[in-house]
Amino acid sequence: MSEDFNNNKTIQAQSSEAISGGGSGVGVDADYVRPAEVADQDLYHGHSFITKWIFCQDAKVIGVQYFLLATFTGIIGLILSWLMRLQLGFPGLAPFMTAEHYYQFVTMHGMIMVVYFLTALFLGGFGNYLIPLMVGARDMVFPYLNMVSFWSFFVAVGVLLASFFVPGGPTGSGWTLYPPQAILEGTPGSGWGIMLMCISLILFVAGFTMGGLNYLITILQARTRGMTLMRMPLTVWGIFTATVLAMLAFPALLVGALMMSLDNVLGTSFFMPTILKAGEVLEYGGGSPILFQHLFWFFGHPEVYIVALPAFGIVSDLISVHARKNIFGYRMMVWAIVGIGALSFFVWAHHMYVSGMNPWFGFFFATTTLIIAVPTAMKVYNWILTLWRGNIRLNTVMLWCLGFIVTFVNGGITGIFLGNVSVDVPLSDTYFVIAHFHMVMGIAPLMVIMGAVYHWFPLVSGRFLSEKLGKWHFWLTFLGAYSIYFPMHYLGFIGVPRRYFEMYDSPYVTSAVGMNEFISIAAFIVGAAQFILIYNIIKTLKTGKPAGHNPWQACSLEWLTPTVPPEHGNWGDRLPTVHRWAYDYSVPGAKEDFITQTTPPSEVAGSKVEKT
Amino acid sequence: MSDLKIEGYEFKPGFKGMAKDTSSDQTMFKGVHWGKAMMWIFLLSDTFIFSCFLISYMKGRGSTIIDWPNPSEVFGLHVFGVQVPLLLIAIMTFVLITSSGTMALAVKYGYEKNRKMCGWLILATAIGGLTFVGMQAFEWSKLIHEGVRPWENPFGAPQFGSFFFMITGFHGTHVSIGVIFLFIYAYKTFAGHYDEGKRGWFTTMKGDYVEVEILGLYWHFVDLVWVFIFAFFYLW
Amino acid sequence: MEKTKKQEQASTHKIGIYLWIWGLLFVLSFFSYMVDWYQFQGMLRWSLILFFMFLKAGLIMAFFMHLYWERYALVNVLLWPMTAIACFIFLMVAEFEYVLFTRLFYFVVGG
Repeated sequence: MSEDFNNNKTIQAQSSEAISGGGSGVGVDADYVRPAEVADQDLYHGHSFITKWIFCQDAKVIGVQYFLLATFTGIIGLILSWLMRLQLGFPGLAPFMTAEHYYQFVTMHGMIMVVYFLTALFLGGFGNYLIPLMVGARDMVFPYLNMVSFWSFFVAVGVLLASFFVPGGPTGSGWTLYPPQAILEGTPGSGWGIMLMCISLILFVAGFTMGGLNYLITILQARTRGMTLMRMPLTVWGIFTATVLAMLAFPALLVGALMMSLDNVLGTSFFMPTILKAGEVLEYGGGSPILFQHLFWFFGHPEVYIVALPAFGIVSDLISVHARKNIFGYRMMVWAIVGIGALSFFVWAHHMYVSGMNPWFGFFFATTTLIIAVPTAMKVYNWILTLWRGNIRLNTVMLWCLGFIVTFVNGGITGIFLGNVSVDVPLSDTYFVIAHFHMVMGIAPLMVIMGAVYHWFPLVSGRFLSEKLGKWHFWLTFLGAYSIYFPMHYLGFIGVPRRYFEMYDSPYVTSAVGMNEFISIAAFIVGAAQFILIYNIIKTLKTGKPAGHNPWQACSLEWLTPTVPPEHGNWGDRLPTVHRWAYDYSVPGAKEDFITQTTPPSEVAGSKVEKT
Repeated sequence: MSDLKIEGYEFKPGFKGMAKDTSSDQTMFKGVHWGKAMMWIFLLSDTFIFSCFLISYMKGRGSTIIDWPNPSEVFGLHVFGVQVPLLLIAIMTFVLITSSGTMALAVKYGYEKNRKMCGWLILATAIGGLTFVGMQAFEWSKLIHEGVRPWENPFGAPQFGSFFFMITGFHGTHVSIGVIFLFIYAYKTFAGHYDEGKRGWFTTMKGDYVEVEILGLYWHFVDLVWVFIFAFFYLW
Repeated sequence: MEKTKKQEQASTHKIGIYLWIWGLLFVLSFFSYMVDWYQFQGMLRWSLILFFMFLKAGLIMAFFMHLYWERYALVNVLLWPMTAIACFIFLMVAEFEYVLFTRLFYFVVGG
């Protein structure tokens, strides 16, 4: 094996010129970096339109493909949420909104947003584009597998959307797909809909596994010379840990989906208890619905962090770059990400306090849940301390980051409410829960996505997005999102239940009706505001201001490619060599306010750089 | 993994070595082929799949109030008029462990660049796997003949049939996929793809005997899962 | 360095160890079969089953899958996630006992 890998001529030549002693002083010796362990990767270069842009093996193109498809599904999810708000704010205004349709839209909105939009966007989109660039690799380690990963995702989305057109329509069992109702008659889409949902999820998991293996092995085994794990940008750490979670959590979803398909098609009773329906005993019997909930949430809670951890990582980088300061407590941030990731496997049943599980579990899961607040709070403090006395550029990217911190703290604190059993029980299944998880894993990661789009668009396209439109986009989204979700906390406190199609003559009608109308109008505006971004992107691609090389004066590797946007193979003839972490901003004594990761120590001899 | 020497890197043993490997640049698993690292992580993920199956089975079996059938009797065979408990399963275990052993030897001979030996051993492994799948088909048809279905069975709790067919079916699928790949790799070994470093079909990586080890990992994993299924499904 | 030497031996001239492990696996499988043959019951059966199972699994992983010769970085990455599974198993045991209790209470005693 090793004789194949160690014959890279350029690298050996380079190492022999630099390998004179291991001196500690600042000089050429300090610039020495160990030679490459593995030979340069051979890449398959596409020549036709199809191999270059459709069945493409370039991680950057795959990343953009993921991004576009996830955004497309996200827009469908957005439209579904409009329809739901239309019903909730103005019941009866749209005659086609029956109760069945409402439940189907709730289900599809949830599943699309969590799995097919956020997960695919963060890991598939940002992961594919940024991982090889940020760790200094030519491409993902298995480009072919990476391509298959995207196309599996494509088929999964196709199957999911196909369920709108089958008899009975998509499943209406809520995004958690709880049996027994998910596959019983009377629930919309109990035949075809739930079947297609399960198939689509299984395809997604299979596709994601292929992608996830790529991300992990690229980060672990294909970093460039000098790139240690503790020099990686936090974006990579976030995506890495999220991918680990996904690799270990998606199996539970796969198993749950498979067993439910069998219950549905073969009539097994994994999850189906004995059921009396209109005086008749159904053929099911002896199964355990709680088992599905355990499997689902063993996946579902890590899934929350699969969405949140990349957002944590990305926002750390954005804040650091645009506050011109190193990230406060980098190592603490890394360990917090890893710790949150590890803990997320031990908290799942806090979603099930009212499910009828073993009542003793409440102690265990409330404890572990509240422990997770510690590393999370550490991260929030570190973001704020990074901003503290920074040289803040108050551009669109920074606005999104600040918006993220506010919404995330808000959602996180309500999470502490819900983590306690005694507080959760009365608040369960109310709008308080809706407000909590939309704040913490809807709006907050979305803010990061938007910030990341404004930040990295110059890299992907070579042009700046319009700041003016960007600020409109931000303020409409931020204020609008608060107008939607803040009143929902109140609705939850007065006890308005979630997943109700209409309130009819309940006492909530008098107190909640005006608020529901307000929320709906805000939702329409916020949804529409997202199209500003699409307009901005289309406009910028034609007429935007050229960004040039490293427009944000960032330190990390992705901005240091020989060409902008980077080409296939990323680095031209020679891979970069890394000498420091990605956060050397405003170093005392340095000529500029940033020192790139590839700058050797001998070039910044007079500055007080951190030893990383 | 034959000669772990990396220019400019000094290996340390044990946990110190772990700390050093982890904090070093370029790779965390020193000298581990990309494909091998990928297979290990994949197997970790697959372990979680099988764990979820077995945990579900445990929960289903533990909470049923209808008696669970006695696997010792259900899976017994009548041989020469004598009821032998779990006979078929014992033979299947024997076959699978045999194939695992031949696979381990194939990996060894692969690293010694002994093309012929490696090829024959992979082929022997494939045939072992095929035998296993065949016996599983026999077992399934026998149970179906006796009236066991995924949704019911004449011996007791209906979940018995559900879990049996699902878990052994999922494991059997793994074995079948393994057998297909074993035949492909046997061909590739005999054709000398690993000796001359011929590039694979869907990759730009050069062929190397490490691929035999990667397939070997998968095959041993299938055997490993069977150890757990044997213990929890047949012996419990 | 010692580690490296071990590794070299492993992949070159150690047919003996593979045959040994192979033989041991047969013997252990035979023993676990004997657990059923002699119809041991209760905790004895359980502990024997688990003992042979873990021994077999350990041997396969350590020697056939070469984990014994791999570096700790890989070994630890593979083994630590199992704590999540262990926690899942532990809690599901508590859960099935509770479900069984409620079922007996409501369907058998109460019914």
